[in-house]
Amino acid sequence: MTLNNNIEFKGTKDGLIIHLNESCEYEKLKEQLIEKLEHAKNFFIGAQIARIEGKSLTSNEESEIIDLINNRFGMIMVERTEPLEKTTACSTKEVFMGLDEGVTRFVKSTLRSGKKIEFKGNVVVMGDVNPGAEIVAYGNIVIMGALRGIAHAGANGNSNAFVSALRLQPTQLRIGKFIARAPDNSSYNPKYPEIAFIRDEMILIEPYLTKNR
Amino acid sequence: MGEVIVITSGKGGVGKTTTTANIGASLAMLGKKVAVLDADIGLRNLDVVLGLENRIVYDLVDVVEGVCRLKQGLIRDKRFEGLYLLPAAQTKDKSAVTPKQMQDLCKELKKIYDYVLVDCPAGIEQGFKNAIAGADRAIVVTTPEISAVRDADRIVGLLEAAELNSPMLIINRIRIQMVKKGDMMNIEDMTDILAIDLLGVVPDDEYIVISTNKGEPAARDEKSLAGQAFRNIAKRIMGENVPIMDLDIQEGFMVKIAKLFGLK
Repeated sequence: MTLNNNIEFKGTKDGLIIHLNESCEYEKLKEQLIEKLEHAKNFFIGAQIARIEGKSLTSNEESEIIDLINNRFGMIMVERTEPLEKTTACSTKEVFMGLDEGVTRFVKSTLRSGKKIEFKGNVVVMGDVNPGAEIVAYGNIVIMGALRGIAHAGANGNSNAFVSALRLQPTQLRIGKFIARAPDNSSYNPKYPEIAFIRDEMILIEPYLTKNR
Repeated sequence: MGEVIVITSGKGGVGKTTTTANIGASLAMLGKKVAVLDADIGLRNLDVVLGLENRIVYDLVDVVEGVCRLKQGLIRDKRFEGLYLLPAAQTKDKSAVTPKQMQDLCKELKKIYDYVLVDCPAGIEQGFKNAIAGADRAIVVTTPEISAVRDADRIVGLLEAAELNSPMLIINRIRIQMVKKGDMMNIEDMTDILAIDLLGVVPDDEYIVISTNKGEPAARDEKSLAGQAFRNIAKRIMGENVPIMDLDIQEGFMVKIAKLFGLK
């Protein structure tokens, strides 16, 4: 059967995690989830679901799934899944502290308009990030290509995070709780790598030159 | 209480977004408080045409979902006092909002603004239904091509079915020389088929390409013919009686020059 890989259950001490395949359509996923749960109905009754992972769902889709879990199959949703915080008002202990050594996601393609990468760690992109694409990371963001879209490093409030790119030409740059935007008529397009970080409550961009380090 | 006007066409590429941006800018120049709303979720453009892309923090979907307040989502235009943009989300799709949510949003907006212009996506599916949900009036944009007119006709039908009666027509990108030679549909042909009130005729203008790429609405430029047409349209929306621009005169002038150099 081909439908097995689209939905996976993982057991953790907090409860089950349902992982939905990112490349699968929502309707298909829903169908397969129902099929799977129906298949082992007795097994799942009373099970605790910690969260839903993988494919990002719209709030409607999400509530539909949660409704399904809670009401039709008698399982218990322990915690509602929450998207990454947009503005950061988190307490310090929740801030991602793995800037030097921490989980890192490698994205091995160019991100085109409409693509959004959200990750609770560092993100490295092996390609360009085009206008209209967005990266939101709790840690640092490194782009081995041109950054033309939006990047948000230290998204849950870590203002020590940095963003660097071979061509740093973002529509908008966010680090921690700071936001900077591209100047309106910019002809300044340096042909060398740059790095952006926070200094004195401001986003600072400087050339990335190895001999200075 | 303001008025919500949806700008739609059915066919893509006829100039809905350019029209929205320019009418919005023109109304703002005439001292009105205007909100332009991009309903093309997933393929947003209005922010780029207005040159406001780098100011987007929150979008329409955030507002609808309550992630931010309405006021936080609205971007104040950098040149036109009184013009505000509510951008579409780029990383979502049309199913992210429902017609009911759009209706509520439009209701909120028209409490604050004199005019709310909704830039409708191409097509007649979910995005179209969302865009027209909260509208009081509709503007149908078409170009002098059979395909565009055919789609416009379908749209007029759908608008009437949705009880958005008497939509107004804008004919965009007309080239009077070609019409005269009989190579292009003329205005009467189109108004005959569509049988709705003509709100304006916008000539094909190279300046539009330049201004779109710069992110500056042509309406601001005194020299641009298309800009002039959009300013007239804005006045007509406000109820002023402005005659349709005689594009023939402009062409006549060019011919005169040509004659002067002995080209004709």
